[in-house]
Amino acid sequence: MTPVISRLARTDWFGPLAVIVFATIIVSAFDPSFLSPFNIQILMLAVAVNCVIAMSQMVIIAIGQMNLAVGAIGGLAAISFAGMMQIWGLPPLLAAAAALALGIVAGLANGLLISATGISAFIITLASLSIFKGANLGITRAQPFYGVPESVKAFGNTTIAGPIPWLALPAALVIAAMWYLLYRQRIGRYILAVGGNQSAAELSGISVPSAVLWAHAMSGFLAALAGVLLVARLQLGEPTIGDDWLILSFAAPVIGGAVLSGGHVSVFGTLFGVVIVAIITQALVIFRIDPFFVQVVLGLLILWAVGVNRLREVRMQRTLKRA
Amino acid sequence: MLRSESVLKMFAAAGLALAGWAAPAAAADATKVALVPGGPHPYFAAWEKAGQDAMKDFKLGAADYRVPQKWELSQQNSLLESLLSQGYNAFLVFPGDPVGSNSTVAELTENGAPVIATAGCLKEPTTALFCFGTDTGNSAYLGTKELIKAMGGKGRIVHLTGFLVDPNTQLRIDAVEKAAKETNGAVSVVQVIADIDAPEPAEEKINAYLAAHANDVDGIVTTAWVPAVVASNALRKIGDKRIKMVGIDHDEVVLKAIKDGYVNGTMLQNPYGQGYIGSYALDRIRNGCKVKAGAPFKTIALTNRFIDSGTVYADKDAVDNYVGSMQAITKKIFADFASTYLTCP
Repeated sequence: MTPVISRLARTDWFGPLAVIVFATIIVSAFDPSFLSPFNIQILMLAVAVNCVIAMSQMVIIAIGQMNLAVGAIGGLAAISFAGMMQIWGLPPLLAAAAALALGIVAGLANGLLISATGISAFIITLASLSIFKGANLGITRAQPFYGVPESVKAFGNTTIAGPIPWLALPAALVIAAMWYLLYRQRIGRYILAVGGNQSAAELSGISVPSAVLWAHAMSGFLAALAGVLLVARLQLGEPTIGDDWLILSFAAPVIGGAVLSGGHVSVFGTLFGVVIVAIITQALVIFRIDPFFVQVVLGLLILWAVGVNRLREVRMQRTLKRA
Repeated sequence: MLRSESVLKMFAAAGLALAGWAAPAAAADATKVALVPGGPHPYFAAWEKAGQDAMKDFKLGAADYRVPQKWELSQQNSLLESLLSQGYNAFLVFPGDPVGSNSTVAELTENGAPVIATAGCLKEPTTALFCFGTDTGNSAYLGTKELIKAMGGKGRIVHLTGFLVDPNTQLRIDAVEKAAKETNGAVSVVQVIADIDAPEPAEEKINAYLAAHANDVDGIVTTAWVPAVVASNALRKIGDKRIKMVGIDHDEVVLKAIKDGYVNGTMLQNPYGQGYIGSYALDRIRNGCKVKAGAPFKTIALTNRFIDSGTVYADKDAVDNYVGSMQAITKKIFADFASTYLTCP
């Protein structure tokens, strides 16, 4: 191995990237339409929103916690965004800003409760999931908001150039911002330090409650952003938005090399994890898998993707030991 | 002394709690109906209005629409038990599971609260009075027949349907297959995409399928609400009027797509009628009526006590009057419901 490849192979994202290349070759060999511009656009639309969802969970994993309320916050922000435009006639930008603020408040509430009570994030977010989802159903009565302006629909369904959808733009900004925050800003270092070893971080003078608050506020913001983007993509404010986020939100960061106990996450690994899940989901449709076995096959393929990455890590560690 | 006071208080509290629990069993009070779907879904929204109208028209104590937070059997069961303890004494329930919901339904009926399985059936044996819903198999069959007609009697169909745990899904899959088989090979169902009765998976899978196979498909039949909405939008987006489509239900996205020519028609169901007539039937039962022995129930896969709440195909010409179509069905069923299915003192 050349030094460059050797260095790349040591990164968290190299394994998932290799899986993506392999999967793309296999799927497109069986069905060339997989690489058609329209399909690439569909794939990018799914990846754009899902990567924001995954980042929302990733920042909580970084601090060594779990946020079960990611979907509920996103769903509440989504119906608030659509509802504010339909009922109050707010302009889209103002409604989006209010929905994002709601996400931050919801995240801060989680963070505050966790910091103040010392109760595990699992329990607190389990409870807040119920509260946020209940508020969602109370507001919508399980009915979608249809009054989404044409400009919002166009944003969610048109392209910047070629197959690149407009939704990819906020997703790209989120990826860049997350990378910058986690690896180039003090707060990112604090979050990773608290996730790695809370006691050591505390002894080093890091304010653990402050790091927890920041992480949950960021998570709430990102979940709300995903909800807003989904309203644009789906062209309606559905009360069930967010119900299916939980598995993906954990699967993508884990495929991307995140350590669930905290302290180590990979922004690009998570992005590639999202791409892997999207490719697998599409492949199951393209290959006409029996609907009753789709979940089984999806689970097996995710295990395979995680396994490939783990195998790469083990081999790298052995090589380093030998060296 | 303090101790004996505490014990007395404890017994008093327990007595009150028991009285509250036993309250639903007393049939003399006003009927309080809970209309409980399997989870949040736009299909059931008409139940709320139906309950309000029934409460007013039949002078019920309550007819409230109560939604579990998620499509999970355990959540629905907890909600039903909670509603019973709150004093609701009659239930219209969409079963979260055709077999799994039976134990909770039995718990409700043992406490004196009659139950009608509504919009979806329970598997026999069950203590529910009967099942009142769309003959989903028949609706899917008729919808597919309409689609085949629109396709000129030949071609390839993709079937987009709902939750696999929904008792109706397998019935729909079988019915679409049956309609295709009747063409002696001229029409084939090339794929069933299921578990997409939520917007995100529907968006992802339907678009992925059309991106890869739009040229290989001549028709789309959807037998669940959300896939109908998403497929209507997808056909509009790719601007393809070659692919024929028959949807289901009355979402405004689907209705608009029918008007604009992207969708050929939709199979209307009658959720309003289910909620309205169901609430009426429960009140009559609580006031002394019995289910008539030998009533002309239909037999379907899950039960031999099935009442069809009606279904009708609406195409471009009929879509503007869909509310009238649904009201007409309700009126027709309601007119002779009591005399057909109940025996009253």
